[in-house]
Amino acid sequence: MAKKPTTMAPETTVDKGVSRRDFLRTSALVGCGAMVASQLDFARGLIARVEAGELTPAEAYELLKAENTLYTVCLNCNTGCGIKVKILQGVAVKIDGNPYNPFTLFPHLPMSESMDNAVKVDGAICPKGQAGHQGAYDPYRIRKVLKRAGKRGEGKWQTVPFDQAISEIVNGGLLFKHVAGEENRQVAGLKELYALTDPKIYEEMAKDVAALRKKKTAEDKQKAIAEFKVKHALNLDKLIDPDHPDFGPRNNQFVYMWGRKKGGRSDFSKRFYETFGTVNGHGHTTVCQGSLYFACKAMSEQYAGDTFKDGQKFYWQADTENSEYVIFVGANLIDGNYGPSNRNPRTIPQIAAGKLKVTVIDPRFTKMAAKAQRWVPVKPGTDAAFALGMTRWILENQRFDARYLANANKAAAAGDKESTWTNSAWLVKLDDKGTPGAFLRAHEIGLKDKETRKDKDGKEFNFEYLVAMVNGQPVAFDPNDDKEAVKGELFVTTELKDKEGKPVKVKSGFQIMLEAAQEKTISQYAEICGSDVATIEAVAKEFTSHGKKACVDIHRGPAQHTNGFYNIASLMNLNLLVGNFDWTGGMIAASTWNTDGTKTDKQPFSFKKITPKAGKPFGLSIIRHDAKFEESTLFTGKESYPARRNWWPLASDVYEEIIPSCLEAYPYPTKALFSYMAAPTYALPAGQTNIAALADLDKLPLYFASDILVGSTSMYADYIFPDLHYLERWEFQGSHPNMPVKVQPVRQPVIASLNEIVTVFGEAQPISYETVWLALAEKLGLPGFGPTGFGEGQAFTRPDDLYIRMVANIATDGKEPVADASTAEIELFLKSRKHLPKNVFDPERWQAITAAAWPKVVTVLNRGGRFATQEESFKGDHVANKYGKLINMYQEKTAKCKDAFTGKPFHGMARFTPIVDTLGKEPTELSAGYDLHLVTQRDNLMTKSRTITHPYLTDLLPENGIVIHASDAKRLGLKTGDQVRVVSATNLAGEWDLGNGNKKAMIGTVKVTETIRPGVITFTLGHGHWATGASDVTIDDQLIKGDPRRAAGVHANAAMWIDPNLKNTCMIDKVGGSVSFYDTKVKLVKV
Amino acid sequence: MDKDILVRMQEDLVRALQKPAESRRWAMLVDLRRCTGCRACTVGCVSENKLPPELWYRPVFDYEQGSYPKVSRTWIPRPCMQCDKPPCVTACPVKGPDGATWKETKGVGAGIVPVNYNQCIGCGRCVPACPYNARTMDEGKFHSEGTPQLMQYETMPAFEYGRQWPRSGKNQPIGNARKCHFCMHRLAAGQLPMCISTCVCRAGYFGDENDSQSLLAEVKKANKIQILKKGKGTAPRVYYIANEKLEVLYG
Repeated sequence: MAKKPTTMAPETTVDKGVSRRDFLRTSALVGCGAMVASQLDFARGLIARVEAGELTPAEAYELLKAENTLYTVCLNCNTGCGIKVKILQGVAVKIDGNPYNPFTLFPHLPMSESMDNAVKVDGAICPKGQAGHQGAYDPYRIRKVLKRAGKRGEGKWQTVPFDQAISEIVNGGLLFKHVAGEENRQVAGLKELYALTDPKIYEEMAKDVAALRKKKTAEDKQKAIAEFKVKHALNLDKLIDPDHPDFGPRNNQFVYMWGRKKGGRSDFSKRFYETFGTVNGHGHTTVCQGSLYFACKAMSEQYAGDTFKDGQKFYWQADTENSEYVIFVGANLIDGNYGPSNRNPRTIPQIAAGKLKVTVIDPRFTKMAAKAQRWVPVKPGTDAAFALGMTRWILENQRFDARYLANANKAAAAGDKESTWTNSAWLVKLDDKGTPGAFLRAHEIGLKDKETRKDKDGKEFNFEYLVAMVNGQPVAFDPNDDKEAVKGELFVTTELKDKEGKPVKVKSGFQIMLEAAQEKTISQYAEICGSDVATIEAVAKEFTSHGKKACVDIHRGPAQHTNGFYNIASLMNLNLLVGNFDWTGGMIAASTWNTDGTKTDKQPFSFKKITPKAGKPFGLSIIRHDAKFEESTLFTGKESYPARRNWWPLASDVYEEIIPSCLEAYPYPTKALFSYMAAPTYALPAGQTNIAALADLDKLPLYFASDILVGSTSMYADYIFPDLHYLERWEFQGSHPNMPVKVQPVRQPVIASLNEIVTVFGEAQPISYETVWLALAEKLGLPGFGPTGFGEGQAFTRPDDLYIRMVANIATDGKEPVADASTAEIELFLKSRKHLPKNVFDPERWQAITAAAWPKVVTVLNRGGRFATQEESFKGDHVANKYGKLINMYQEKTAKCKDAFTGKPFHGMARFTPIVDTLGKEPTELSAGYDLHLVTQRDNLMTKSRTITHPYLTDLLPENGIVIHASDAKRLGLKTGDQVRVVSATNLAGEWDLGNGNKKAMIGTVKVTETIRPGVITFTLGHGHWATGASDVTIDDQLIKGDPRRAAGVHANAAMWIDPNLKNTCMIDKVGGSVSFYDTKVKLVKV
Repeated sequence: MDKDILVRMQEDLVRALQKPAESRRWAMLVDLRRCTGCRACTVGCVSENKLPPELWYRPVFDYEQGSYPKVSRTWIPRPCMQCDKPPCVTACPVKGPDGATWKETKGVGAGIVPVNYNQCIGCGRCVPACPYNARTMDEGKFHSEGTPQLMQYETMPAFEYGRQWPRSGKNQPIGNARKCHFCMHRLAAGQLPMCISTCVCRAGYFGDENDSQSLLAEVKKANKIQILKKGKGTAPRVYYIANEKLEVLYG
């Protein structure tokens, strides 16, 4: 038949062609229906009939029919763009962008636009989104529960009934007696860990533990422990360790961790683990850009009474559609970074039109750099040096927005039409060495007394005034006061007197920033980051030449280093210097429609009210987050430093610490681990450390996972529960900080699942993540689930029982609810879902639940979510959805926390800090003999763990490569196409140890380029898989061969440094929690 | 604010469809200053037209120039040029009113070079004749080949040329030459070609060149336009805007 054209001789083709032609004529008659032959007829086919008005376009082109179209949300990356799924015979055959959703059309169609019009408009989505249905129809998906039939990670499985798996996990027992060596291994079930159940005892114990933690000395703590034991004698058996009541109840020994999870599913699991009573529900934030989140959390902590609290785990990004100048630092929004479908149309045309200038600070000449006016290829991990160089220049040249920075409180800000303000002018106390600590309180210098105030619920709290210097005199102020404006002096260094007349040395926040910036000269900063003074000054000048329309937009590049927290704070502080927050063209924050019904009284389902009162979980988490080492019972004094592992008073969801902490049983042993959509072994730097830990049956006696296939981490589980693909399920995607429009995209089932149908609480449903929680709740008898889960007559027995209520809340949030769906729209709603089985689509049930809100629910589901209009998103010079609060330049809360290894306080002001291990040592030994700095990159075609299953994508990018600068390649005698092994001081073999004697070499193909800083190498994440369909597995004694395409390329994370002190996890940012992704030095060994 | 150019161009398209075919001139334009080589167009097209492995109607080529740190990167998407003087048509042995490929003059597809799969004999002569390598033989492969199961979405019909082409066994277009057709079936339905409608950078334009009100005509007029392989005299209907000289990059 058809040959490759390049090898084809014309003569033979004619001969072959003739017979082929005859053949086709015959086959056309037999097999292909009424195909017409002539050119004229061909052109007169359906298209011509449409032209002639004989057919409507939708009749000719089935993908244009509204009844074949459903709107939902992508999840091939976390951007979560709105998608329009085109469905034929129940099969998703084509995916495009949802035109109602501002992530795919700019500006998007208003919700008032009819469905008939919307169906004609396809929004634009990226290749991962376009290929999305290939994930749903991946032949390697699992459909039944798999139970381990061999050693962990050996790839031997048996299918078991869902109910059996749930019973075994709840009841425990000799669960693996069929596996050699485990005949007598008794596994504790969740029932045994569901030890403390009485809410009253929970409350009482939690209160006593909180008091115990506040005891200042070891003796006092011991005394408190003794008292605790007496008071709670009857319930000590419910604690992990009565000698350490702060470890909490045995319930905490159930650890649950997740990878990608959004609203809805988060609420589902939280309802379970909080009712179960464990503090151990941990996300994956720190493997993404934890230090970005937690530095911004520190910046957003609010002064409430006498202390800082309620910081948001979030960050700001640039409103590029209105910016004039943006500095992107380690942010390549074209390939990743909450892009590209939403960000590109708001950025790239503006650059091409000359409206927006861009500088990219990044060792890689990214696609973003290719579009930028200036590329600054800094050395990895030195971003703060560049930022501090800029800061110094801006401060010394008076290029900052002094008017904005002087505003000490809300009233002053409002006077300047500012919605945010800073603590630049607030006075900070210095200790005897001159180190800044807490802000000065007015009562400390006898300026103004403390007050007792009442919050909106009538609860009393202590209020302390702060102090700024006004005209050379200290003035007391309330930072949240919106009436009496206080503008303070920016550069203050002075000595005041306390009530006894003793001297109190103080400086303003801004003065501390100046001094931090002046720790080095601009020339020294340039030297550190590998740039030059002229560039730093030019970028600083440009940045301060556009008023509020200039931004520093940051992503994981600067965050994923051991100094990530201070890199981020140093860069984010630059935005404070121009005061661009909430301004059009400035830094903006995400805004979403509320799901939990706590926003307005018009929302029908307040989850606060329909969640039963269970004991609030207490005790230390396995990752020791939101906790100070010094307050724990493990701390007995200065001799306790260094702590065995880090403590995280400022961070949470510290992914790299979950499994290694289980392995070390620090602070206590784990009995059961549940992972959802998580691949830490693949995603984490030095992820192989997690593989070794997961193999340990003593330290992790029970491990079960929810996954859509046998994944790179779930392959080590004892049980894998099949989950639904994102086209088959619910979620509330939320938004991202670059999106000025208020949104709540709703992910909903658009195709049926082939997963086994099981019965939970008497309801048939395909096995899913939610089904696992529901079945565990049913078996354990957990309150808040089941026939009266949401109250009398209000069942919570299916996933949609929760989600449909959340949709009703979304539809009724805000000043005005969404419009009711017309009868025709409700008909379309039903018709377009006729292929969905009742076990996932049950309109009668949903209508009964949501009652009056039902037509509004239909409006939202028909459009794949709720979206404000573009016009509503801006008000004059400001964005409509404002952050509108204090932003900390100086971080008091941070300054009050200590490094758990050295006992030294963290810096309250951002500055340049070097790359160090947990003991504070610079990695000179690890670097010796390793000449290349390893970083990573994303390609728009791939995400880390899930796109390898999409052949439309791998067909275009069959493998990644080791990208190296030509000068390095020349020095090493390498050329494009050579095979090299990646080796580091903590992975001398240059391989993944997958356990059970299986290894996967970290060998990749060299790609030589000019587009990277010499000395730095990179590789695209997403290739080099060892599971996820890449390797053979045996299920019920049947061999399922892997697809070699999925194993192609290299995944070099295993070369990333293991912390030399901790030895079983990667290097870490001790403040912000981030993993060190970009600090490792490697060498390449030619194969 | 202005409409998304996708909406604007769709309105242009609907307006153009009201005109008689002979007064309409479909053209495509790619602004390489905006293109980021993301390949949404490539994959969108693969999915829309049910293209098998290693067969792309609209590949995107990468170019790097210069030496560190003065470097540049450029991407060139390359659909079929729908040449007014198409060498592929000349090369096709199946000629006449029953021909397998021709320069369409009638209907929605006027200006496009279609392939009548029923008439194509699979000889492959058109493939090397195209100076842009815009034609590829469909060898009948499937993306889920080599996995435990061939998936249904791969065998369901494509809608090329306004017909249904289920992909299984030896059904056409398996064995045929395949190429971009500006998504003629979508044009007929009042929709933009898939590559244009899913361009996340809004680098692609499509419309009626003869309509001075159309965005495509506006953009073409306002910028210096380049075409690929001018020397071949193929008179392409696909235009480019670029800072670089494309004959240097593309040849």
